[in-house]
Amino acid sequence: MRNQEGSSVKEEFLRKWIRGLRRYSCEKKNMSFLERKKAIKLSADLAMASTRDKTIRWSQALIANAASENVCIGSSSAPKKSSRKKKMMLMRRSRARVKSVKKEMSSARCIAKRLMEKRTRKLKNLLPGGESMEDGCLVEETLDYIQSLRDQIEVMRSLLTASQLIINPS
Amino acid sequence: MEQTTGVLRGSTHDDVVLESIQFNEEIRGIMAPAPAPENASSFTALLELPPTQAVELLHSPDCAPAGREPPCHVNANQKPYLLDSYGGNLTFPSNAALIERAAKFSVFAGENSSPEDAARLAPASLPGAVKNEPQETDSNPCSTQGCVSDPAVETKNQRTPKRKEREKKGKGSSKKSKGIADESSGDGEKLPYVHVRVRRGQATDSHSLAERARREKINARMKLLQDLVPGCNKISGTALVLDEIINHVQSLQRQVEFLSMKLAAVNPRIDFSLDSLLATDGSSVMDSNLTSMATPVMWPENLADGNRQHYQQQWQFDAFHQPLWGREEANHNFVTPEHSLLSYDSSANSASLHSNQLKMEL
Repeated sequence: MRNQEGSSVKEEFLRKWIRGLRRYSCEKKNMSFLERKKAIKLSADLAMASTRDKTIRWSQALIANAASENVCIGSSSAPKKSSRKKKMMLMRRSRARVKSVKKEMSSARCIAKRLMEKRTRKLKNLLPGGESMEDGCLVEETLDYIQSLRDQIEVMRSLLTASQLIINPS
Repeated sequence: MEQTTGVLRGSTHDDVVLESIQFNEEIRGIMAPAPAPENASSFTALLELPPTQAVELLHSPDCAPAGREPPCHVNANQKPYLLDSYGGNLTFPSNAALIERAAKFSVFAGENSSPEDAARLAPASLPGAVKNEPQETDSNPCSTQGCVSDPAVETKNQRTPKRKEREKKGKGSSKKSKGIADESSGDGEKLPYVHVRVRRGQATDSHSLAERARREKINARMKLLQDLVPGCNKISGTALVLDEIINHVQSLQRQVEFLSMKLAAVNPRIDFSLDSLLATDGSSVMDSNLTSMATPVMWPENLADGNRQHYQQQWQFDAFHQPLWGREEANHNFVTPEHSLLSYDSSANSASLHSNQLKMEL
């Protein structure tokens, strides 16, 4: 799939990430530690997501979430809380529905189904924008997401070692 | 006398070694690159193996162009069943699968139920076939329970739609990394399908066909995921595999958080522009990072001085161009400051490499 272009993807990701970070640092001069961490992580995530096509769902969902939540690194997290509340409500409702269905089924196959449902629900929660995906789509997206996460981690780690080496040349 | 016998033995050993070298070169060249001197010991090891596995290794050039060990071992484990039932006929694995299935069908056609044979055949064929058709995992527990008719019926039902979906199956098997064995056994199964087609029309429903195609696709992707996530290959059962995958994703996300925290701690300001730009080149980011950072101590001094000047330059660039997420033209702006920066240092070879590659890119 995207195995051949591994290094170019990483480069693209790095460039976009640096761009985003510079934007943040020009907005705010002195940021606290947590703010910086959030800025770094967010710009890294967005950069990773933007390297993927429009056809890949998790990346679009990630970008959409970040845009809709209006994440300003320095400001309060009030908008985040409201969106979190909404998500909790939705999850509670869906759980209630599933529980009522569970009481009806009791055979061995249904137990297996229940296990699978638990797992797929967990996976959906992990993946950005995963709640609206079906099984086949979910597996594909997870594949892609895992590969992207790995690339992201590699680039971040190399940047970390590079900056550490610069500061401590010994 | 002793010396001559020793010499004789040595010469025969040499012959054996020569044969083993040729033998193993074929296999090793395909399976994994291995140094030559191990050949003698490996050939004797081969001899010690039961003939089944030796035969399997013989067939491995046919089966596994991707060069994976586990499928060969899986097949090797199935061989004893075949040998027992067929009286030691060592055949090619694809033909063996074909023969099994034909025998099974003939068993049920004649209704001479020798359940032991069929029960032996079923677990022998099904685990071997798991490699080829992964959705038979649900038929495995049935066979272990000992109900003979069910697994055969199920496998038949699963195969009749497959005969019609052979194109989809072709695509699915091409996605798998196992290679030729799958396709050859898939093609070999055309013959028995002709008999089976008439039976059990349940599976010819369009809905179940589509469902089975979907399930095949999902199972193929699950296999890919299993290969991607470390430690998932040995786990059988989709729920546990999913657990592993979930753990893996969670750990990756945690790593991202941790790394971003570390990066925030390392830098007082989140400006990585200079060193990161130096790092990027045509090959991999990591390699270039390490090579560039391994250069002499002159670098940090240059950077410390050059930092302020370059920041001002780059801010001007940004103010003019206002980079957005989707734009790729702005990438070229990054290259020019790298040029000027790299021209400072003349001693390091890696720097000259970087600049050359950048010039090539431009």
